[in-house]
Amino acid sequence: MAPKMEVKSLDAWYGSRQVLYEVSLDIPEGAVTAIIGPSGCGKSTFLRCLNRLHEETPRSRSSGAILLDGEDLYKKDVVTVRFRVGMVFQKATPFPNMSIYENVAAGLRLLGVHRRDELDEGVVDALQRAGLWEEVQENVDAPGTSLSGGQQQRLCIARALAVRPEVLLMDEPCSALDPIATNRIEGLIATLRSEYTVVIVTHNLAQARRVSDHTAFFYLGKLVEFDETAKVFENAREKLTENYVSGRFG
Amino acid sequence: MNAARGSTEAKNAPRVRLLRGLDRIFHAATAAFAAGILLLVGTFLAVLLSGAWPAIVRYGFGFLTGDVWDGVHNIYGALPAIVGTLLTSGLALLLAVPIALGVAIFLSDIAPPRLREPLSYVVDLTAAIPSVVLGFWAFIVVVPWMRGTVEPALASVTGGVGPFSGPALGLDILTATIVLAVMILPTIAAVSREALRAVPRIQRESALSLGATRWEATRMVALGQARSGIVGGIILGLGRALGETIAVTMVIGNIFQIPTSLLSPGQTLASQIGNNFGEVGPGIGLDALVELGVILFAITLAVNVIARLLIWRMGENGRSDPSRSRWRLRSPWALARRSRRPLGARSSTAPEPWRERVHAAAAARIVRRRTVQWVMVGLTVACVVVALLPLTSVIITAVEHGGGAVSTASFYTSEPPLECNPGPGRTCSLGGIGPAIEGTLILLGVAALFAVPVGLFAGIYLSEYGRRSRHPLARSASFLADVMTGVPTILVGVFVFVLFLQFDHNSATSALSGGLALGVLMLPIVTRATEESLKSVPNGVREAALALGFPRHRVSLRVVLGSARRAVVTGILLALSRAAGDTAALIATAGGSNFWFQGLDRPTAAITPFIFNNFSSSYSNLQEDAWGAALVLLLLMLVISLGARLATRSTGAGLDGE
Ligand SMILES: Nc1ncnc2c1ncn2[C@@H]1O[C@H](COP(=O)(O)OP(=O)(O)OP(=O)(O)O)[C@@H](O)[C@H]1O
Ligand SMILES: [Mg+2]
Repeated sequence: MAPKMEVKSLDAWYGSRQVLYEVSLDIPEGAVTAIIGPSGCGKSTFLRCLNRLHEETPRSRSSGAILLDGEDLYKKDVVTVRFRVGMVFQKATPFPNMSIYENVAAGLRLLGVHRRDELDEGVVDALQRAGLWEEVQENVDAPGTSLSGGQQQRLCIARALAVRPEVLLMDEPCSALDPIATNRIEGLIATLRSEYTVVIVTHNLAQARRVSDHTAFFYLGKLVEFDETAKVFENAREKLTENYVSGRFG
Repeated sequence: MNAARGSTEAKNAPRVRLLRGLDRIFHAATAAFAAGILLLVGTFLAVLLSGAWPAIVRYGFGFLTGDVWDGVHNIYGALPAIVGTLLTSGLALLLAVPIALGVAIFLSDIAPPRLREPLSYVVDLTAAIPSVVLGFWAFIVVVPWMRGTVEPALASVTGGVGPFSGPALGLDILTATIVLAVMILPTIAAVSREALRAVPRIQRESALSLGATRWEATRMVALGQARSGIVGGIILGLGRALGETIAVTMVIGNIFQIPTSLLSPGQTLASQIGNNFGEVGPGIGLDALVELGVILFAITLAVNVIARLLIWRMGENGRSDPSRSRWRLRSPWALARRSRRPLGARSSTAPEPWRERVHAAAAARIVRRRTVQWVMVGLTVACVVVALLPLTSVIITAVEHGGGAVSTASFYTSEPPLECNPGPGRTCSLGGIGPAIEGTLILLGVAALFAVPVGLFAGIYLSEYGRRSRHPLARSASFLADVMTGVPTILVGVFVFVLFLQFDHNSATSALSGGLALGVLMLPIVTRATEESLKSVPNGVREAALALGFPRHRVSLRVVLGSARRAVVTGILLALSRAAGDTAALIATAGGSNFWFQGLDRPTAAITPFIFNNFSSSYSNLQEDAWGAALVLLLLMLVISLGARLATRSTGAGLDGE
């Protein structure tokens, strides 16, 4: 199958400091790709390049090519890129000025969906996919920030899912959550696999192993190894990878 | 070893007791200064009310509805001034708020990062222009422009009916409105900008990640979350507009009538007081003016209270309990219906067809959304340009008219000249503002002598003792200091004048009363600045020093005050610069004089009243002197604000925001 996204010798800088070096990587369609590596190795930066959020950071720069379905991201309108490639952040970021309903509807409205029934349908569908509907259906007009941490993160996932992106980027979506909430989100990722392409950054190696089909290992801004998850964890090509996944450093 | 320690402890015991005693004295002393603020506010209210009492008794409610101000027959009514105040301030808000919001959005969300800081600083500078200088500029630049260009154009476009009827005078409600808008715009812009900046970047990034344009991210997320801060800024601006005296007086035409049109001259509460205060002796006429002050105070207080309630309500809404909004389900039936649908039915709404259809439609709308984005960027840029015009024009005008004077050495040392216009074979001496400079320095000295120690110690109390105990004294002193910063300065002048009248007729207009008026004006600023600077010192610093065995008062004075000294000094400097630029408090108290200092109990010259007294002078040398004085003031404000900026910047707070 053709890759959903192709990254070709991507370099990225903050100011004069280079944090990604010549990263090339094909992200397979309809699968979960995990990105692992020690703190500060550029995982978040890589992810932020994939929906062109990197360029919103002042004084940042990048070079190289990223293709989405064979088309160069930088030749497309950035708004199109972003509704096709959604993002969930490490910290839950519900919009505090909006209700649960409005949080999820925000992206739909941006897409031009204004009909009440269509909005309702989209909101409920997204909340269901994110596994939050049962908990909030009584209460969708409560502020998004009135939810618990884990619920807020699922709300953010629902918000991202509502516009039905083709690719969903998740930057350590569980790092602030307890094991139960983490479990729910991992289960959710498994169900997303069929309809979305997912890229997830995680520090939790067991999680990467559980949820992903492919794993990329980054070290000091370079892609060290990228392969099927099983291979990376059991039969790494590189010594560095082996050391990392076996917990000998990092 | 234990024995050795025991003996040192025994030796130290008297010392420890002494230090404990000192601690207690220090606590009590700072508390007394904080209580001084309460006392001051109490006196302020009592003096204003008792000053106005005879008029309140004599005219009753009729005072609010009367529309005549007749000093000869002692018939007084406040209605025209009330209408004038509400009209000019309300319209000024309408003018200023959209532009200020545009400026704030540009400076927080749109401007290239390296432009943000310097541009914000320049916009803030406009707020530092003393109102007498702004009024002077408006009188020379805006009034002729209104009279010659804007008002005739308005009249011809609208047919000169209703709010646009009447002759184009230039000195009228509309011009006053514009000047007020210029004054309050930077305040509103600055507060809104900070509120927008406080919205975390990740919130905007979340919106961008949903496919929002930058403008949409600002509108959807940042503006929504900054709402209560923005409202706060607007109220702050409104408060300033309601109480502004000098700049309004200089352009409003000063006719006590209910305005029938935007082009008719009028009067506001503050301008009516400012115009007449120096001219009436003690008696019912003065009492009536003080009653105008009471009304003005009541209005500004009401605005403040309403603002606080509004902000409080909005803050509540941000994280209110869900039960309140639960029943406002947008479309409960649709949602309820769907809620019953089993989860398994989801596959029927497979994403593919929906995604293709909606994404294609969205892609088709992108050009339109981009256009909106660019239009908004263009509009905010235009707002910044408009906001910077007055400052630019003020500086150019002041340099043009006053540049000669300030570059003449004798200007700083001479007395004002005799009135003179140059003619054939006649040159006029320039004279100078020596006595005014001397007077201002003395007034500031008196003010600082009063306000700095009181404000400093009260601030120490509020931060060091009040914070932990949440003592009612601390809470009310902090709150009242806030209220006092919003009190129109003309009222401070009226207060001090009436207070002095009770004791000694002759010194009611004197250097002493003028200095005290400026001190009352400075006090709340020094107090709050000290409190906030000390509060920003991390608690670890205090705990570390206490753990080392320093007594409480040493910790407060040396360690905490020491590490916040830059911020404290900055606060005092800013208070001094506000006092130096104020006119309204002085025209009620300092009396005015053309001579060198003659004693604290005598009227004194000062820079701002000098400008105010000569701004419309028909003698060219006096006009030039006034412009020279205005330029001197502007330079002073510039130096102080630059100094404050450098001082606060090099404390290292937020070196690199990224
Ligand atoms: N906004 C920024 N400005 C400057 N440098 C940055 C910025 N964001 C990240 N960096 C630097 O770029 C490097 C890569 O950062 P990145 O956030 O991509 O790492 P990461 O792999 O996601 O780390 P973590 O696992 O801790 O999240 C780090 O060294 C970091 O210090
Ligand atoms: Mg990261």
